[in-house]
Amino acid sequence: MNWKKETDEISRRRELALEQGGAESIAKHHGKGKLTIRERIDKLLDPGSFEEVGPTAGAGNYDENGELISLDPANFVLGFGKVDGRRIIVGGEDFTMRGGSPSPAGLRKSVYAEELAVQYKLPLVRLHEGSGGSVGGTGGKGQSLPGPVNAPARFRSVAEAMATVPVATAALGAVAGLPAGRLVASHFSVMSKATAQILTAGPAVVERAMGEKKTKEELGGWKVHTKNGTVDNGAEDEAACLAEIRRFLSYMPDNIEQLAPVVECDDPVERVDEALLDIVPKDRRQAFDMRRVIRSIMDENSFFEMGAGYGRSQITGLARLNGQVVGVWANNCKFLAGSMTTDGAQKARRFMELCETFSLPIVSLVDEPGFMIGSQAEREATIRHGTAAVLTAAMTTVPWASVMTRRSFGVAQAAHYGPEGFVLAWPSAESGPLPVEGGVAVAFQREIAAAPDPEARRKELEEELAARQSPFPRAEAFGVHDLIDPRQTRPELCRWVERIQPLLPALLGKANFSIRP
Amino acid sequence: MTKIELETGGSVWKVLVQPGDRVEADDVLFILEVMKMEVPYEAPVAGEIAAVHIAEGEVVEEDQLAVEISG
Repeated sequence: MNWKKETDEISRRRELALEQGGAESIAKHHGKGKLTIRERIDKLLDPGSFEEVGPTAGAGNYDENGELISLDPANFVLGFGKVDGRRIIVGGEDFTMRGGSPSPAGLRKSVYAEELAVQYKLPLVRLHEGSGGSVGGTGGKGQSLPGPVNAPARFRSVAEAMATVPVATAALGAVAGLPAGRLVASHFSVMSKATAQILTAGPAVVERAMGEKKTKEELGGWKVHTKNGTVDNGAEDEAACLAEIRRFLSYMPDNIEQLAPVVECDDPVERVDEALLDIVPKDRRQAFDMRRVIRSIMDENSFFEMGAGYGRSQITGLARLNGQVVGVWANNCKFLAGSMTTDGAQKARRFMELCETFSLPIVSLVDEPGFMIGSQAEREATIRHGTAAVLTAAMTTVPWASVMTRRSFGVAQAAHYGPEGFVLAWPSAESGPLPVEGGVAVAFQREIAAAPDPEARRKELEEELAARQSPFPRAEAFGVHDLIDPRQTRPELCRWVERIQPLLPALLGKANFSIRP
Repeated sequence: MTKIELETGGSVWKVLVQPGDRVEADDVLFILEVMKMEVPYEAPVAGEIAAVHIAEGEVVEEDQLAVEISG
């Protein structure tokens, strides 16, 4: 007498679980150009590295003798796995069953994902395609949602994960309700342009409640959500989303108690790029390409932009300097002159929180004309969100290096300089309470109006004041650490990175504030 | 056909191409004035200008179709 019968049944249950929603359901899913959750996990992870958690959880169907006939596996697949040799936690809904709406075991496993990540202090990757609860309940067998008093603290673990480990999430199909809420509770999120929509509520609910008739794509397709900041990035398809997640993780430590991995760097620290000598036009009205500046300064091909589609006056992303990961934040003068808009400020605030949570030094390339102005900006409470960014910068403890590339004006400029930061200025730097153009019109209003040719006088005054904004007095007054040749920016910043190395270990552990969606 | 749409609203300061012109990638097609800044729009690809939908001095809006290039 041994346990053979039971061990055989364990094997059978494992096999049954791999059938997911059945051949027909899987074929239908493939027919829509989508991968199953198991295929997604395989594509994300290093080959053969998946170690599943709870593979046989689900609902068994039994005959009258209590023998197992079939198994409806939990519709959330969860486990450990490796990305580039580093262990992570990965999980996602199985859309081939119940359209991803959680079964009882599926819901338990899904909520357990964050708990597992926090317990093992490992990065969490969620691959979402599914909806929230159904009015029919999780299985039609009684109350599915406990009340506020006896409910498990489901969102506490979500918040805790955000403060402890990197969380990266992809929307790979329609994502609504609870999964949509968890999707945005991430340090990095990406949606598939080919297959994903993100919906607080789907078309049927919207039509019933609002009388608004819209398709899923119109309500929550990539064109909507990459522009409003719901997700950080949009990628062409599922495979591209998974590649972006792997890339994001390559910059991140496993948790807040570790420093980001430093990699071997082939790009010489002394490399100088001649193009930086004239990248900022002498004509102050002409815009320049800040992304070109970033790529030139950082280690070759190391810049990973996050959130390019929204808050477009600001550029944020991760990069490396001599192999050390840094957060890069810069103004984009090609979009609304690079001014601090409401969405730009929110993007910058969240980005600084990311850097603070994971002890990433910040490199800030400053070309800030000030808070966005005008009636739309007032309606959007720009001053409030902008000031939130300014105060976030003031509370950070990570090392900062700020390079004044051109303009640095108003209250908004304060967001670009961290406490005790290292500050360099290019010869093109100009700063003050407000840019010359606006300032002259206000300060010399009477003089301009009284002049025989007001327009000519205004220009004259503007030129006079602009000339006074020479960078040399700033260096003489020790207002910046140094005035540099723009071509020397990379070597300067690489030396800074070396100097701050001894400071980084002291930053580890819980930050005073962490990131919120 | 490559369509160039506007990233922001503003006013059209200069239009440097007209239908039938041959352009190389990175050639400046037109320049917007936005918040007192000149913002050049460059050709993402080489090709022939198929249509120009904006005119100098015109006030334009975000997402507006500006130029079409056939490859």
